[in-house]
Amino acid sequence: MLAEVGRSILHNAEIAGRCLSLLGRALLALRHIGRGRSQIVRQLDMAGFGSILVLCLIAGLTGMIMAVQTGSELEKFGVLKNLGAIIGATFCCEMGPIWAAVIVLARVGASMAAELGTMTVNEEVDALKVMSIDPVRYLVMPRILALMISMPLLTTMADFVGLLGGALVTKAQFGQPLRTFMESAQGLLDGMDFYSGLFKSLVFAVIIGTISCDQGLATKNGAEGVGRATTATVVLSIVFVLLSDHIMNYILLKVITPLMGLT
Amino acid sequence: MMRRAATNPGTDRHTGPVQQVEDWPAERLEAGSPLVPPPPGKQVLMQVRALTKAFGPRRILRGIDVDICAGETFVILGGSGSGKTTLIKHLMAMLTPDSGSVVVDGLDLAKATPEQLVEYRKKMGVVFQNAALLNSLTVLENVGLPLTEVEQRPADEVRARVVEALRQVFLPADEILDLKPASLSGGMRKRVGIARAIIQKPSIILYDEPTTGLDPVTVNGVNELTLQLQQKLGVTSIVITHDLDAAFMIADRIAVLYKGRFIAVGDKRAIGDNPHPVLRQLLTGSTTGPLTEDFLTAKKPEGAPS
Ligand SMILES: Nc1ncnc2c1ncn2[C@@H]1O[C@H](COP(=O)(O)OP(=O)(O)OP(=O)(O)O)[C@@H](O)[C@H]1O
Ligand SMILES: [Mg+2]
Repeated sequence: MLAEVGRSILHNAEIAGRCLSLLGRALLALRHIGRGRSQIVRQLDMAGFGSILVLCLIAGLTGMIMAVQTGSELEKFGVLKNLGAIIGATFCCEMGPIWAAVIVLARVGASMAAELGTMTVNEEVDALKVMSIDPVRYLVMPRILALMISMPLLTTMADFVGLLGGALVTKAQFGQPLRTFMESAQGLLDGMDFYSGLFKSLVFAVIIGTISCDQGLATKNGAEGVGRATTATVVLSIVFVLLSDHIMNYILLKVITPLMGLT
Repeated sequence: MMRRAATNPGTDRHTGPVQQVEDWPAERLEAGSPLVPPPPGKQVLMQVRALTKAFGPRRILRGIDVDICAGETFVILGGSGSGKTTLIKHLMAMLTPDSGSVVVDGLDLAKATPEQLVEYRKKMGVVFQNAALLNSLTVLENVGLPLTEVEQRPADEVRARVVEALRQVFLPADEILDLKPASLSGGMRKRVGIARAIIQKPSIILYDEPTTGLDPVTVNGVNELTLQLQQKLGVTSIVITHDLDAAFMIADRIAVLYKGRFIAVGDKRAIGDNPHPVLRQLLTGSTTGPLTEDFLTAKKPEGAPS
């Protein structure tokens, strides 16, 4: 039992180490970004824009649910006019980036791991190496980069749709004019919330891209291994996205906010 | 049958019983063939010394010693699963030996830097056993990949050279250029793999069963291509094949892999005359002999009818 826990910790430490080195090499490969143009465009095509509809649906529904729940509480205290700010803040800081990350890791991350896993098993990756084509430059860097472009866009979209959902429900349920809701929410855009959310989404993109590429390239044992790599990608990505979210929140609250307060 | 005999006089692959196993105790059967100096006038290109490799508990290569000369066509024969692919993966530095070494042109592959390996592999073309084409790319992109990604050639030059390479392996370029590998037949994929391996005009080509799954006419074509590349461009070819006709047609030397060692290395004549039972069995295709011995004498599961 204890041995098993130890082994699993070692295993995860190994994965983390491998991911860090992979990320380092991918960053180095950014030197050759010009040569990777066609690959980056190809990856952008798959990097989550196919998930826009699902993401909108989920973000919109979450906004509506939150509006009903929070709104009825706020109404009791007569501060319903602040609902827009609350929902806006929640979405920009947390819900938007997290939902975008979850959808992207489940759809794009998993399929990247499956694709790279299949390529590894079919010796396509070996073939690249033999042709002196660095798999990190050719396969990994464009994928991470494509996610870094798409994730902030998807996050912004989730923020917007979530707010819209909230606003519509607030009007229908509590009869508050859309304008009041939006004005309350707008106070945010000069605040840090929106940008910190975008920054988070960049970090999530790097995490998801690195984990899925690493799992794909480390695939062994044929089709079964591809399945395992896909599952591991989803599980590991969720854990590390949430973990990094927590760490970033901590830094934001304890380090950055006081600093900003001082100036 | 006639053609076989004609292409290969001096060997009696289809007659004569496999030699009595009693004369060949396991030690002698599995002993590695002694290293012979290269033929006069030939330069050694690759030196493989005491190479061993195990996957987990399974010792696949148990001491390979061989010199491969520049410009020769070196054919590797051996039973399925004997480790032929594993061996040539060491030659392309995709696997590192557990012990022993592969030295090419003075460069020890296990100790080479990544940059040195990149340079080394630029001289090399590899035909993978399963073709290993990139499934997301078209035939044009696949074959042209080394040109676009490594040499960064302009698109029209790439296209012209791809068409030429496809023609050399008897593929109708204009029909298949824009297809993905998944919509090609197995034999076509294999030939696209060969086209990709030769497009950079490498000086070393490794073929892992290049003609398996091809029709007889194409098989001959591919064999002739191998010969041509060697004769016109001085390419060093290392060919794994199960096709004995091809082996005896193209080889300068033939080596036979058995239980992790080369039990015989020599030119066609020497191999044809070699009385080693494993070799005789490989050449005759008999089902009785050392290659199938382990299987036949393996313990039957308990309760199984004898
Ligand atoms: N990566 C690996 N991990 C574990 N075992 C392996 C690996 N690669 C090869 N093997 C084992 O090594 C042995 C030799 O494999 P190899 O592919 O070299 O055989 P081969 O001579 O090329 O056979 P064939 O003629 O069928 O292609 C096989 O038993 C195989 O199971
Ligand atoms: Mg093989």
